Amino acid sequence: MAVKRSLGYKVLLFLAVSALLLFTLFPFVQILSTSLKHQVDWGNPSLIPTVVNFEAYKELLGLTSQEVELPETIKIMLQNPAISEEQRAAIIEKFKSNADIFPFGRYTLNTFLLSMATALISTALATFAAYSLARLDYRGRSIFSNTVMFVYMVGGVLLMVPLYQMAVGIGLAGHITGTLVSLLLIYVVQTLPVAIYMLGNYFRTIPKSLEEAAMIDGYSRIEAIFTIIIPLSRPMLLTVMFYCFVIAWNEYLFASVFLKQYHDFHTLPLALQTLFSSKNAIWDRIMAASMLTLLPVLIAFTLANRYIASGGTAGGVKE
Amino acid sequence: MSDRIVAQESRLGYRLLAPAFLVIVLLILYPIMFNLYLSFFDVQLDGNKTWVGVSNYLKLLSDQTFYHSLGTTLIYLAGTVVGTTVLGLAVALLLNEEFPLRNLVRGLVLLPYFAPVISVVFGWQFIFDPVNGIYNHVMVEELGLMSERQNVIGEPDSAIWVVIVFDVWKHFPIAFLLILAKLQSIPKDQYEAAAIDGYSAWGRFIHVTLPELRFVLGTVILLRLIWNLNRFEDVYLLAPNVETLPIYIYYRAFTGVIDQGFAAAVAVVQLVFLAGLIWLYVRKVLKW
Repeated sequence: MAVKRSLGYKVLLFLAVSALLLFTLFPFVQILSTSLKHQVDWGNPSLIPTVVNFEAYKELLGLTSQEVELPETIKIMLQNPAISEEQRAAIIEKFKSNADIFPFGRYTLNTFLLSMATALISTALATFAAYSLARLDYRGRSIFSNTVMFVYMVGGVLLMVPLYQMAVGIGLAGHITGTLVSLLLIYVVQTLPVAIYMLGNYFRTIPKSLEEAAMIDGYSRIEAIFTIIIPLSRPMLLTVMFYCFVIAWNEYLFASVFLKQYHDFHTLPLALQTLFSSKNAIWDRIMAASMLTLLPVLIAFTLANRYIASGGTAGGVKE
Repeated sequence: MSDRIVAQESRLGYRLLAPAFLVIVLLILYPIMFNLYLSFFDVQLDGNKTWVGVSNYLKLLSDQTFYHSLGTTLIYLAGTVVGTTVLGLAVALLLNEEFPLRNLVRGLVLLPYFAPVISVVFGWQFIFDPVNGIYNHVMVEELGLMSERQNVIGEPDSAIWVVIVFDVWKHFPIAFLLILAKLQSIPKDQYEAAAIDGYSAWGRFIHVTLPELRFVLGTVILLRLIWNLNRFEDVYLLAPNVETLPIYIYYRAFTGVIDQGFAAAVAVVQLVFLAGLIWLYVRKVLKW
């Protein structure tokens, strides 16, 4: 339908699209802008920094070498011959760790490892479960299917108290290994229903005749899954992993409940919230950290925009 | 298929499902029951419990802050559901028109939805910051709509509106995606027929577009209600003083005077609301 549109329509369309983009993108531009501003420049409403300042990024990425000066009294104390080598090292270590450094790299690594483990385990478990629900016939299948649908929609906040009490009850909450195991299991179960749901919908779109042909050729069903279904579903499997990864990358609630006392094991959301609420006037660092937290998701999104967008409509999407 | 293959297939079905389902039973279904059980106890952080019967529920019914939290939740749900649906619909209609770079715009619009909450909340905090924020600058210095700078997020009564706008900003893209997909499937000849019948653009929207979108709009609204009733991070990290039900539960369970049994009781109440919404979703949406 090639309709000649009037000039007025074109102008209106242009204005509407511009307003939409302003609304959508402004917060991102604001974050980028503030992350590059000097403290004196924060109150300046212009989005362009008067002087571009990369200090915040350098500090977060550990590119500035801030030597921690030990106070004189401590130095004198350290010269005391009664102190053993280990004690001396411990004292210096304590002072360095108390220094005003935000170990962004460490928190990023914590969050990355936890999110990656969640995505891998959850997608693996979900692939088999979704295949079973989508393709195989057995008694009670629809009940299992409905249960997955139901738990998909039960928010973490309703499970917070019982899960914490369960972890305490079996003695997992008392030490860091148990805590990390509990948290990983919780992240897996928080992402599992949406992964099963998305993959199940996808498997149903693959023609059954493909597996049947393979099975006539002598493959078992398990072999057919690995040689036909999994290679065909690669884009969807990656999309599902992306979703699981982002859900875990974002998670604050359970991280705050389980990890609060283990500072070294904080995830980014927890660490940033702690940084934000404990100190004033650190907007550039907070914004730079925000940009750096955004970056991996942005890259993944640019690379796989098409798949991710279609995954969104397919899954109804856990949030 | 022979009986032997049928039996084999169903055994394989159970085996493939078992690991995932076991995790779900252990970490979702059992905790839901355990939560109900805990709501009848006085529960300490270290796991000690004393039976108190229904007294947690009685305390709940006489707690003013609970009713306040219910009210906050209702405002939050109404504001976000209406905002997300209307904006999602408007943007879907807009980006269904043809113009240069349309695909790029469609991609950019999805950004807020996929950006991690933690990487955008502080940006929003900064926008509304009383000292440095652009919001106060525009309202006070540029437009003169307010006489002095205000701490918008610091006050619960105004913070809830920031939370609602933030939520709409963050989630209208998913509404947009769902509505656009349906919009593209409406046959063109329906519009041509309506145009021949003399309907104006608005008339075509009312008589062709809206009826076709009825189901997808219903889906969007129900899903927003369900997810937003569960929502914790977006509200708590942006404005911890806006006490919707999830945040109310969190505070009772883990901060201040800790009362986990009471928190469990509130969670039971929230689960009842949620189950109602899920039931509606299963009955209405999954049949569509």
